[in-house]
Amino acid sequence: MKVIRALRWAMLRQDPRNYQILFLSLFLLLGIGTRDWTLRPDLILVVMVTCLLTQWVAVSIWSNPKEKILDSLTKKQTCNTELESNLASSPKLLSLKSAMITALGLSLLLRADHYTTMMLAGSLAILSKFLFQVERKHFFNPANFGIIAALIFTGDAWVSPGQWGDDGWYALLFAGTGGLVLKRVGRWDTTATFLGAYALLEAIRNIWLGWTWDVYCHRLMSGSLLLFALFMITDPRSIPNARISRLLWAGSIAVVTFILRNQFFVSTAVFWALFALSPLSVLLDYIWSAPRFSWLSPPPNVDRCSVENKAADTESEQYSKV
Amino acid sequence: MKPFHILITLLITIVAVVCFAQKAWAFCGFYVAKADTKLYNQASQVVIARNGDRTILTMANDYQGDVKDFALVVPVPVVLQQDQVNVGDPQIIEHLDAFSAPRLVEYFDPDPCNRPMYRSSAAAPGNTRGGGTRGGAEDESDLGVTVESRFSVGEYDILILSARESNGLETWLKRNGYRIPKGANQLLRPYIRQNMKFFVAKVNLEKFEAGGYQFLRPLQMAYESPRFMLPIRLGMVNATSEQDLIVYVLSPKGQAEITNYRTVNVPTDSEIPVFVKNEFSDFYKAMFQTAYTREGKKVAFREYAWDMGSCDPCSAEPLNSEELKKAGVFWLTPSEPNNVFITRLHVRYTRDKFPEDLMFQETSNTQQFQGRYILRHPFSGEMKCQAGREYQRSLMQRFEQEAQTLAKLTEWKIQDIRKKTNVTSSQTAPWWRTIWP
Repeated sequence: MKVIRALRWAMLRQDPRNYQILFLSLFLLLGIGTRDWTLRPDLILVVMVTCLLTQWVAVSIWSNPKEKILDSLTKKQTCNTELESNLASSPKLLSLKSAMITALGLSLLLRADHYTTMMLAGSLAILSKFLFQVERKHFFNPANFGIIAALIFTGDAWVSPGQWGDDGWYALLFAGTGGLVLKRVGRWDTTATFLGAYALLEAIRNIWLGWTWDVYCHRLMSGSLLLFALFMITDPRSIPNARISRLLWAGSIAVVTFILRNQFFVSTAVFWALFALSPLSVLLDYIWSAPRFSWLSPPPNVDRCSVENKAADTESEQYSKV
Repeated sequence: MKPFHILITLLITIVAVVCFAQKAWAFCGFYVAKADTKLYNQASQVVIARNGDRTILTMANDYQGDVKDFALVVPVPVVLQQDQVNVGDPQIIEHLDAFSAPRLVEYFDPDPCNRPMYRSSAAAPGNTRGGGTRGGAEDESDLGVTVESRFSVGEYDILILSARESNGLETWLKRNGYRIPKGANQLLRPYIRQNMKFFVAKVNLEKFEAGGYQFLRPLQMAYESPRFMLPIRLGMVNATSEQDLIVYVLSPKGQAEITNYRTVNVPTDSEIPVFVKNEFSDFYKAMFQTAYTREGKKVAFREYAWDMGSCDPCSAEPLNSEELKKAGVFWLTPSEPNNVFITRLHVRYTRDKFPEDLMFQETSNTQQFQGRYILRHPFSGEMKCQAGREYQRSLMQRFEQEAQTLAKLTEWKIQDIRKKTNVTSSQTAPWWRTIWP
């Protein structure tokens, strides 16, 4: 039993979602404490409750066929790996972590006047995971979907890109905490490509326009941009599976962001770029996919224990970022 | 992980190296003197009325030199024609200023022995001044400079120039008698490359004298562009120190904020000693400077955000429809109630902390905010009851608290504040004054 408990603890620590929740909460507290955001606690509460409830209900309705397999297997108790069956017995609870991350992300980024807007953003964010799926993989980043939905469908939502300012220590904090999560998730390539491509484009523009480099530096030091690059576009659940796809995908987002920001003067360019290119990940997964998809549809002749293990893996990868 | 680490390290290094830029230093444009008059534009006021992509920009002048030397060059997003430029009413900007200025509120403690009622009185305006600008002209196409339009509005002669390259524009301006500040050349280029035009204004002396004006009146321009920005960079060429810019954004939706710098509320709702009533402008200046320094000198301050239909307390009456129209508000219809939300932003900027032009966005945030400072006058009549004695004891604590708040807000010396507080509190009227009418 002790070994199992230790294993379970180790596995919980392995779950990058815990770190995500911890860091995002920290940013929220920092934002309220040091950046004097006029955040309303009631709206944060509303969005959290909405996200958690929607997740709970949606998981109940769209009960995952894989989980059914899993349930039937665990009932038979053919495998003695108590750890997995334990984890698998509470998939709903585990999936609430993802919902919590989405809620924290929305609280950090989205501003609104009314409860209804936050409720709409929260519920659509979570529902997007269930509604927009290809091969049982959702392709919209939930928080990003919620933000765009609120911007389109309501008149009172906005995003404050300047809210973090450009202090260096925020950049370090984001980079440090983001790095920790990315290390576990293994998606640093996405962040690096996005930031690299965007920085390169801005550098070219800066040289062409003849601005001094402090202008460039100021444009890149935006806390909001870093937060986006480190915590939003790296969501392993919705971004392409193969590295090559991710590189292409992140590069395209950087290009679209650059164009929207500099040509169309859209202050929320990054969110629109991510939203517009999210469906591209389906195509990219289709082109460069085969090995990555193995856990999505377990091969028929595998023994039950390995199926169960895979299912548990699947669940533990249900983390969904900002 | 390695490449990630390398990338981050590289980014941080670039940022660290690049961020320490040399100093140079104003506002939308730069003053261009034709003589060696010492010019400086320390404070500017701009009103931006914006709905969708439509904008009416009003620039107020605090130009203090000789009118004949006045010239203004401002990058504008589109070519402007004569009917897009107007000369505004300086009183409107004064009214906007007074309406949105940080304010003092005073309350009078009730007689603790006789509980009821309090009354409040309002308002002391902050201090702001207008900013100004200007230019001149003939065209030579070999310099790559095109005069897109040329017209006169009121006392101003206006040219809209487009240029292919900054050297040509600089040469053109110089040949036409404009003294370009050193270093302006490099700053003109980014605007030329972004396909922006140059609004060049100078004063037509005959019309100015014929009009009998005392000061230069504000210039207004109407245009349609997705760019919601104020070019402050060019104005930093000939300014030597920190410059103040007050931006009044009028929007039908809600608050405006700056997207590429932080927008922070000024400290507000603080109870401060009553002696501040006589030195409110000193107080506000010191408080603003303290807040500005505390925020690292790189944020924009929100001093006021309110629906233009009301105020509480009012430091001036809200602008009526006619005045709003003069301030550039173009979306009002007689049949509907006025939907105008004002945001007053106070930006104190220097070249090193504000490298980039200000970019704005309107939001639907209708939360109201005002810079408001509270004076509470102690009850000065005679108090014989137990509650009165307790009240008097509590006063000392309150005065100390107020003194400390003031010291924290302004960084004035606490000893000086205590001295002044004691003087004020001992000035309460002697008891016999209230006996005979």
